[in-house]
Amino acid sequence: MIKLVDVIKNYAIGENEIPALRNINLHIAKGEYVSIMGPSGSGKSTLMNILGCLDTPSSGHYFFKGTDVSILNDDQLSAMRNSEIGFVFQNFNLLPRLNSLQNVELPLIYAGMPAAERKKRALEALERVGLSGRLDHKPGELSGGQRQRVAIARALVTHPGILLADEPTGALDSKTGVEIMALFQELHDEGNTIILITHEAEIADYAHRNIFIKDGMIHSDKCRVVSD
Amino acid sequence: MQLDENIKLALSGVSDHKFRSFLTMLGIIFGVASVITMLSIGEGAKREAIAKYQDLGVNNIIVREKNLSDNELEEVRARFSQGLSLQDAEVIREILPGVNQVASQAEIATEVKYADKSVKSTVVGVSAGYLEMMNYTLKSGEFIQESQYNSRMKVCVLGAGVATLLFAQTDPIGQMVKIDDQWMEVVGVLASKTLFTETVGELAARDLNTDVYLPLSTFLNRFTREKELSNEIQQITVQVENSATIVQASQLVNEILKRRHFNNEDYNIVVPYELLKQEEKERQIYNFLLGAIAAISLLVGGIGIMNIMLATVMERTREIGIRRSIGARKADIMSQFVAEAVAISITGGLIGVVLGVSLSLIVSFFTDVSTCIRLYSIVIAFAFSVIVGICFGYLPAKNAANLKPVDSIRYE
Ligand SMILES: Nc1ncnc2c1ncn2[C@@H]1O[C@H](COP(=O)(O)OP(=O)(O)OP(=O)(O)O)[C@@H](O)[C@H]1O
Ligand SMILES: [Mg+2]
Repeated sequence: MIKLVDVIKNYAIGENEIPALRNINLHIAKGEYVSIMGPSGSGKSTLMNILGCLDTPSSGHYFFKGTDVSILNDDQLSAMRNSEIGFVFQNFNLLPRLNSLQNVELPLIYAGMPAAERKKRALEALERVGLSGRLDHKPGELSGGQRQRVAIARALVTHPGILLADEPTGALDSKTGVEIMALFQELHDEGNTIILITHEAEIADYAHRNIFIKDGMIHSDKCRVVSD
Repeated sequence: MQLDENIKLALSGVSDHKFRSFLTMLGIIFGVASVITMLSIGEGAKREAIAKYQDLGVNNIIVREKNLSDNELEEVRARFSQGLSLQDAEVIREILPGVNQVASQAEIATEVKYADKSVKSTVVGVSAGYLEMMNYTLKSGEFIQESQYNSRMKVCVLGAGVATLLFAQTDPIGQMVKIDDQWMEVVGVLASKTLFTETVGELAARDLNTDVYLPLSTFLNRFTREKELSNEIQQITVQVENSATIVQASQLVNEILKRRHFNNEDYNIVVPYELLKQEEKERQIYNFLLGAIAAISLLVGGIGIMNIMLATVMERTREIGIRRSIGARKADIMSQFVAEAVAISITGGLIGVVLGVSLSLIVSFFTDVSTCIRLYSIVIAFAFSVIVGICFGYLPAKNAANLKPVDSIRYE
């Protein structure tokens, strides 16, 4: 499903080029549950942004479902983000003036879906994350865990099949974090591919495959057999 | 993204910050309001001017005797000038090409009496075609006929003011009034004229409603005037067929009269059409200035919008990043911000239209400046405000659309 070939990402700071990713080669199959760990500044978010089509590599190729994403134009990348990828951020990134329902509907608006169908799909997604009772709440009126659920519903609403989560529990207390991880577990069981960045080993343990990144390179890549 | 979603989004963008949006609109509001008000004042002035000159007749050349002092009069008489005369009128009629009609009039200021009432009036002796040439309308009865003129009948037509002063209840038609020491039968009454309180060219302002009209033949026969020769008249009105050649025609009239008056310029020539054109030209300058002021105020309004929109884009970088990350295309972001700018300018434009129309009405109500609101000025002002919104919203919107998704979503 995802294939990175010799991906390099450099950031230009003034005269200097700072390498954030050096030669990443990675293959992730459909239905996998992958965690990415690594020290701060090692390039995890940079990698995730490339996977999520928010950013493009400096060189190398990124194949998503067989298409070379690195040659797509801006509109095509937007379409990819819209329909193929669900992105979940550490700080939720909800629009503060919209209520839960409107936030979840937003990707469907950009997909050009008619209002009635949009609402139906958004309600489904919110129900899926257990927030049917908070449709009219704005993000400011929700707890951190609830906000992240809205964000997950928004990521799911276009049925992308893959969820990218950059430290989804980073801003939550551990109890709420566990609840969110349980939700990811369920979503994975339903057949979604999940890639998740985390700093915490307990969180990484939910995944079946652990990638460790250091200095912009893949340091280790281990598959685990999950006992239960 | 569909249009209706875009409009909804734009309106929510405006209403999320009502006070700020209002401040942003102020430039547009005042721009549009001032355009509409100034155009309506200009239009009002134009209509007044046109009415004024139309009353005098746009196809008419008016030759009027100069008011001369006794000394000057002696001087011109010594140089053989007979003053304006019926013969002058006759010659102009014969020589001038493209002439339609020539009317002569002689005047005397005197009292007109009926029963125990009397009113100060200008008694005007006129030739038959006078009514049509001067655009006068009758209220009742009829004007002096050719036959009455030819047989020097003692009939008269009253101006509206004279009629109401002398005849409160009774119908004036058929009544006898006494002018000087002559009894005249009233055959007609003119409709009231709103003329002409301003001096036009060399024509002194006077109230035409106090005029009383007689056949010129009767007038010259019956009224003896001091220092006037018997054939002398005060005004010759020449109506030409075509106002396009009226200036040349008036020059020719001047040539004819100069020769006949032995180079004495004891008359003035007024061409209302020429004056109308002149005033139109002056108004063009005024209109141009108006347009410039309007353009500048709308420009300033537009810059105000752009300024706020640029700040808004900065402030909403994060929002833009979020929208982009869930699939908004550049075009979606672009149209969101352009639509927002247009929503601001349209709302401002609408408020400006309301304000401008009210101002025009207030001006004409509380001052004697007359205004006339034309639909086209509203349409223009409004259309301009929309264009301003699009033009000045474009750059900020482009900035917004060109933000890189990954940078804007990380923006703190
Ligand atoms: N927009 C940018 N411009 C310049 N340098 C950048 C930019 N984004 C990231 N970097 C650099 O790239 C490197 C990798 O950053 P990245 O955000 O991927 O780290 P991370 O692994 O996600 O760290 P953390 O765990 O703290 O989130 C860092 O050295 C960072 O300074
Ligand atoms: Mg990071």
